[in-house]
Amino acid sequence: MLENIKVSHSPHIKKHHSTQSVMLDVIIGLVPAMVAAVIFFRLKAVAVLGSCIVSCIVFEAMCNIILRKPNSLGDLSAVVTAIILAFSLPPTMPVWACVIGSGFAIIIGKMVFGGLGSNIFNPAMAGRCFLTACFGTMMTTWTVPATIHPQMPQVGQVQTSDPVATTQATPLALSKEAIKSRAAGNGTKAETVNSVFNYMFVGQTGGCLGETSALALIIGGFYMLIRGTINYIIPIAVLLSAFIFASIGWLIDPQYYIAPWVHLVGGGLLIGAFFIATDPVTAPLTKRGMWIFGIGLGGLTMLIRIVGEYPEGVMFAVLLMNAVTPLIDRFTKLTPTGGRVNA
Amino acid sequence: MDIKCTGKLTFKGGVHPPGYKELSEHSRIKSVPAPKQLSIMLSQHIGAICKPLVMKKNYVTLGQVIGSADAFVSAPIHSPVNGTVKNIALSSHPVLGRAESIIIETGEDNQVKEPSADKFNENFDPGKYTPEQIFEAVRNAGIVGMGGAGFPTSVKLKANPDSPIRAVIINGCECEPFITCDYRIMLEWTNQIIAGALLAAKALNCENIYIGIEDNKQKAVTAFRQAVEKMPAASEIEVVAVKTKYPQGGERQLIKSILGKDVPAGGIPPMIGVLVNNVATAAAIADAVVFGSPLTHRPVTVSGSGVKNPGNFYAPIGMTAGDLIELAGGLTDDAVKVILGGPMMGFAVADLSTPMTKTGGAITVLTAKEIGSIRMRSKETPCIRCGRCIEACSMNINPTKIAHAVKHNLLDIAEQYHMSVCIECGCCSYVCPADIDVAGLIKTGKILAARAKKLMPK
Repeated sequence: MLENIKVSHSPHIKKHHSTQSVMLDVIIGLVPAMVAAVIFFRLKAVAVLGSCIVSCIVFEAMCNIILRKPNSLGDLSAVVTAIILAFSLPPTMPVWACVIGSGFAIIIGKMVFGGLGSNIFNPAMAGRCFLTACFGTMMTTWTVPATIHPQMPQVGQVQTSDPVATTQATPLALSKEAIKSRAAGNGTKAETVNSVFNYMFVGQTGGCLGETSALALIIGGFYMLIRGTINYIIPIAVLLSAFIFASIGWLIDPQYYIAPWVHLVGGGLLIGAFFIATDPVTAPLTKRGMWIFGIGLGGLTMLIRIVGEYPEGVMFAVLLMNAVTPLIDRFTKLTPTGGRVNA
Repeated sequence: MDIKCTGKLTFKGGVHPPGYKELSEHSRIKSVPAPKQLSIMLSQHIGAICKPLVMKKNYVTLGQVIGSADAFVSAPIHSPVNGTVKNIALSSHPVLGRAESIIIETGEDNQVKEPSADKFNENFDPGKYTPEQIFEAVRNAGIVGMGGAGFPTSVKLKANPDSPIRAVIINGCECEPFITCDYRIMLEWTNQIIAGALLAAKALNCENIYIGIEDNKQKAVTAFRQAVEKMPAASEIEVVAVKTKYPQGGERQLIKSILGKDVPAGGIPPMIGVLVNNVATAAAIADAVVFGSPLTHRPVTVSGSGVKNPGNFYAPIGMTAGDLIELAGGLTDDAVKVILGGPMMGFAVADLSTPMTKTGGAITVLTAKEIGSIRMRSKETPCIRCGRCIEACSMNINPTKIAHAVKHNLLDIAEQYHMSVCIECGCCSYVCPADIDVAGLIKTGKILAARAKKLMPK
């Protein structure tokens, strides 16, 4: 009997969860958006999602072999990266481009830093950034969803010249147009975008694969909040600061700046707030740090959307805030209960 | 009298491990005959180690002083039985590895010692004793903090005019899973504990007494409220139900919950005028002052799925873990871990001949099922910086940062992140999804730092 006795440090019992189960919860949280993507974009969604997941897994396995590291596929983080990357790509993305993006995300974004836990930038956003830099046109071609609502007003001109699919501008691209036409005093008005809020909320609009359906993302986000997978601070800080910064533009000139609630459901803000910014590896550790991180992220996103050249700014905002995370951690050191000790 | 009925009083951080109290909470405290042989450690407390006062083959009687030290911070040790000193030798110690102890062979004339709780009733009057008498009695009885720390109680009861004690807290939280001996004595020895609390307060000339009990022990809360009402001398005692959360029984955490005060980091409760004593210590104080009986026996819980009949015992100090496990029916076939103490802070031992000390209130024997598949596998994965350890930390420090600094031997960075503040409660390891031994690394770091400063031998 005694030969079975083990010794170790205390504590000897442990909460029943693991990195794997935490990542699994994130994947479950992404399922509603995945379903929405398949409903709206049909086979195109399956192709992008499938190619990203398969290639991310293969790249991570390859890296482990080359770097002589133990197999790390069990922690499921590669799958989470793959799904988030796929969600941030346009549905028309060809499979080979998805593979390149996944390769960059896993190899350069994660494994060269030392794998999960050591990466500075969110791997999925790093991959997307690489694709944006390489294939700009591909990354801004948006198909009309398969199940478009018959009463949905035409957002932008639908172009049927493309042999693959009918495309149109995204609401945020139109919002940018509206802001640009403010100087001229004519052209697109914010009203066009504001009027499609309902369709944007459900997801029947052009956009990235997983970003279109605000409803599905909110459901997934709440699941993760209830399960305790993510902390409430980052999503609230991101959405709140984005709302406030969007309101500033809207209050200046509601004719040309779209309403703040439209900003919230548009583009990648919700997936960013719930799934990307909350990536624990690249976000600050302390609560104060999380507030700073979230507020900065929301603010930068709105700065890019309203003032900058790009219609969408979540990706750049995430990467920029990732870069300053170590700095935030350094400036938000905790004070122990009962004050500091003079070590 | 203002009685707080809610269990809302709490501190920041902490975790909620499953309680497992049902295994032994209904088992009455049973007096047990002394085994054939006892090993009384010479170091059972914080402070100067005792020197043996007896020699091989000497005959000793129950309560006889067998070891003491001259230092102020120390506590003498006593023989728990009538018998013969067999040897003074090394025996295995959960923390020190091996330490010197007096091995006593129990004589045939030895009798089972019964607790003295029945002799205390609601007419107890602390007025009969002077603070000096109480201090002397507690010092001579060798009482130390029985909740686990083992700090000599007499030192705490020495009134210091420069920092008067304004509140005495009796700690009945027992937040560790499995352990129920404090719960049982709260039900069975209620009057004795109140008497001890009154005596401790009397020694320090303090009038505010609180008894803090976790709100999952409703029966104990009720028992104390009724006993306090009946006892005229105890009318000032406030029985406080605090939130059930680990580590509520930590003295800093309990003070925060009851009084809302923070003990300064690196300091001790008397610095803010508070004294905290465990319920078992309070009972021992009453025993020592009223009957002059030294601390030779203590309540012990033997629990966990790894023993056949979990229960609570009034056992002589110096009994080995193996003897106590035999009392509880012996190990089951699937037992994998024998822990002196509870599963959160206890020490796992591989040698069942390790003797119990004054501070050891429990033996927990775990099976693979209770430890859980993740902890059993003990395979660390990388830290994903999720921050759960920071949220669980009751001292509001950054456990993952300190642990990783220690891992890479960067003790100065560990100190910058306030490593020395850690109370080693183990919440960080408990919640870590990557199963990193955070608390273990921090403990290692503290030892390395102490060695570097030459405060501790290598």
